Amino acid sequence: MTKRGAAAAMAALMGAGMLAGCGSTGGTQTSAAAKTSAAAEKTTAAASAASGNSSSGDVSMVFAWWGNQTRNERTTKAIEKYQEENPGVKIDGQFSEWNDYWQKMATAAAGGQAPDIMQQDYQYINQYAKSGQLLDLKPYIDNGTLDASKWDKNMLEAGTVDGKVIAICAGMNAPALVYNKTITDEAGVTIKDNMTLDEFVAAAKTIYEKTGYKTDLSYGTVQEPMNYLLRSDGVVLFGDGKLNATKEQLTKYFQVYEDGIKEGWELGPDVYADITIGSIEQAPIVAGTSPDKSAWNTLMWSNQYTAMNKLAKEGMDLEMTTWPSPDPKKSDFIKPGQFFSVTSGTKNPEEAVKFLNYLINSTDCNDILLGERGVPINSDVADKIKSQLDETDQKIYNYIYNVVQPNCSVINPPYPDGYAEAGKALNNVVEELCYGQIDASQAADEFLAQGGAALAAKAGS
Amino acid sequence: MGNQQPVKTAASAPVKKRKIGNPINNEKTAGYIFTLPFTFGFLMFMVVPMAISLYYAFCQYNILQPPVFIGWDNFAKMGSDAIYQKSIGVTFYFALVSTPLRLIFALFVAMLLLENNKLSGFYRATYYLPSIIGGSVAVSVLWKRMWATDGTINRILGINFPWLGDTRTAIWVLIILAVWQFGSSMLIFLSALKQIPQSLYEAAMVDGANGWKRFWKITFPLLTPTIFFNLVMQLINGFLAFTQCYIITQGKPMYSTEFYTVYMYDQSFTYYNTGYGAAMAWVMVLIISAVTAVLFATKKFWVYDGGL
Repeated sequence: MTKRGAAAAMAALMGAGMLAGCGSTGGTQTSAAAKTSAAAEKTTAAASAASGNSSSGDVSMVFAWWGNQTRNERTTKAIEKYQEENPGVKIDGQFSEWNDYWQKMATAAAGGQAPDIMQQDYQYINQYAKSGQLLDLKPYIDNGTLDASKWDKNMLEAGTVDGKVIAICAGMNAPALVYNKTITDEAGVTIKDNMTLDEFVAAAKTIYEKTGYKTDLSYGTVQEPMNYLLRSDGVVLFGDGKLNATKEQLTKYFQVYEDGIKEGWELGPDVYADITIGSIEQAPIVAGTSPDKSAWNTLMWSNQYTAMNKLAKEGMDLEMTTWPSPDPKKSDFIKPGQFFSVTSGTKNPEEAVKFLNYLINSTDCNDILLGERGVPINSDVADKIKSQLDETDQKIYNYIYNVVQPNCSVINPPYPDGYAEAGKALNNVVEELCYGQIDASQAADEFLAQGGAALAAKAGS
Repeated sequence: MGNQQPVKTAASAPVKKRKIGNPINNEKTAGYIFTLPFTFGFLMFMVVPMAISLYYAFCQYNILQPPVFIGWDNFAKMGSDAIYQKSIGVTFYFALVSTPLRLIFALFVAMLLLENNKLSGFYRATYYLPSIIGGSVAVSVLWKRMWATDGTINRILGINFPWLGDTRTAIWVLIILAVWQFGSSMLIFLSALKQIPQSLYEAAMVDGANGWKRFWKITFPLLTPTIFFNLVMQLINGFLAFTQCYIITQGKPMYSTEFYTVYMYDQSFTYYNTGYGAAMAWVMVLIISAVTAVLFATKKFWVYDGGL
C-alpha cells in the first residue's frame, strides 16, 4: 500500500516536473513572441509618428515566392543588398515549389498570416483579389512611391482587377513554340514566325512522313493552347461562370487532335502516360528515345527556353517561334510571367511598396535578378540588363520585342475562379479523344458540359 | 430530502478523508498525468481538426474566404459527380485486390524465412526494405520509369507495351507496387509462426500428415488471429493509399487509376473546393468503419480464438 502510494507520488512528481518543463519552455516562447509583437507595435507607432523619416525604426517583412534554384539564389542576393542599403529593414525571403507554394499561401491567408509581399500568378490573382487579400497599389503609384512611368502599359493593365492595381508584373513572357531545327531541316520544312494552323498541320505531316518524328500538340496542358486558338475567333474561353466558346468553334480544334491521332503524326496518349506532364526535362522533344516516342516541337513559354536549351542533346538545334493559330495576330499576346503583390494584411504597407519599387525599378537589383522571371516591364531596366545576358537569353529578348510585340493583341483578363477544375475537364476530354473513346464533336459537348459546370459552381463567389 | 443526502455524505466524510483529500495518491491520477502529453496532442492535432473538418463538410469553403454553411449540398454533389463515383470503384478494386495478394505473398515469404541459419537475419532485413522505401516518392518515380514503354520491364520481356498508358494495365502497376511492400505484414506473420509449438507438427507427422495437410490443419488455423489483424490494418492502408497514384499515374489514363484520396486532395487543394474535400474525407471514414465492422462481424466464422 505504501509502496503503491510512493510510486504514484513519484509518478505524479515526474509528471508535474514534465508539465513544469513544458510550461516553462512554452512560457519563454510566449514571452519572446510577446516581445517581438510589442517591438513591432512600437515600430509601427514610431513609423507613423515620424512618417517621412520612415527607414529609421526596425521593420520586419516576409517576401514569398515560388521558383527554381537560380531564382532563389538571385532573389536572396537582391534582398541582402536591399537590407544593406536600408538599415533597419529586415526581409525574410521564403521560397517553395509551385504546388507547395499555393497550398502554403492559401492556408497562410486563411489564418491571417500571409506574407507582406508575395509572388502572384495570372491564374490566381482574381481569386486573391476578390477575397480582399491584396492591397490596392494605385495610391502608391499616384503619390510616386511606386514609379510606373517607364512601364509597359499593357502589363500594368494585366495586374488591374476591378479598377484596383493589385499586382505588378515581375517579367514578361510570351507563348513560344520550340522546335528541333535539325529535324525540320532534315524534312526540308521551313518553320516561319506567325504560321497559321493549316501551315503547322501541313508541316507536321511532312515531318512525320520524311523523318518519322511526331508532333506534340500538347497534352495535359491544353488550356493555354486552346485559349490561344479561340482568341483568333475573338473568344475568351474561360469566362466568369461559363465557357464562352460555341460547340462549332471547339469541334474545329478538337478535330486537329482527332486527325493527328488517326493519321499518326500526333504523339499517342500512352507516350504522355510515361512522363510527368509539365516537366521540361521529360518533354518528348528532348527526352524521347525513338522518333515515334519523340516530337519535333513543343508548346511552352519563352522564359522556359533557357532551361530547355540546356537539355538539348548533341546535334539538337532548338529554335523558337510563335504558336500556330488561324490568325496569329489576334491570338498572340505578351503575358505577365509572374506578379508581385502586397497583401492587405501587411503592417508596413509603405515599406513593402518601397521594396516592391526596388524589385521592379532598380537597375542595381535587376543586375542581380537578370530577368530570370521574364523581361522586366521597366524599359530602362530591360535595356540596361540586355547587354549582360548570354546568347540564349538575348534570343528570348529579341523574340519578345521583335517577333511577338509587333504582332500581338492584349491578353485575356485574368482567369476566373474555377479555372483549375474547368482546365482539368478540358484535358480529360482531350485524353478520351486521343484514346478514341469519343470524337471531336462529342469532345466539344462533354467539355462544354463539364467545364461549364465547374465554372458555374464558382460564379459570384 | 434531496438536500439532505449530500450533507450526510459530507458528515461521514472524515473517515475517508485521507483518500479523497489527496487525489494525487490515486493510481488513476498518475495514469492520467502520464497520458497527458498524448491526450493533449490527440485532442489538439486529431480531435479538434477532425471536428473542424466535420464542420467544413457542411460548408462551401475555398480556404481564402470564410466558410458558408450549405447543409448537405456537398454530400448531394457526390451523387452526380461521375469522377467521384469512378474513384470509389477504383479504390475498392485496388484495396480488395492488392491486400489479399500482399498478405499471401507476405505469408509465403515469412514461411521461407522461418528457417534459422546464419543469413536469415540479413534476408529478413532485405525483404523488409521495400516496405520502408516502397511508399516513398523516389521509389514511385523509379517504378514509373521501370514500367514506361521504353523501361526496364519491356526490355526484359522484349516487348513494347504501354503498361501505364493502357486502361486495363495501369492499375496493376500500382497493385504490384503495393504487393511488393509486404514487409510489415511479413514480420508479423514471422513472429506468429514462431509462436506455434513444434510439438503440434511432430504429433501430426507421427500421424502421417503431409506438408500441405500440416499447413491447413495446424499453421493456418493458428495464424487466423494474425491474418485477421493484418487484413484489417492493410485493408485500411489500401483505402488510404495516395503516393503511388499521385506520383505514378495521377489517375491516368481516363481516371482508371484515380484513388479516392488523390481526388479528395485535388478537390481540396487544387480546385479549392475544400468543403467538398472535407465531406469526401468523412465519407471515407464511414466507408472504412463499415468495412472494418463487417470484418469484425465475420470474425467468429473463421478466426480461431482458443489460444494455444
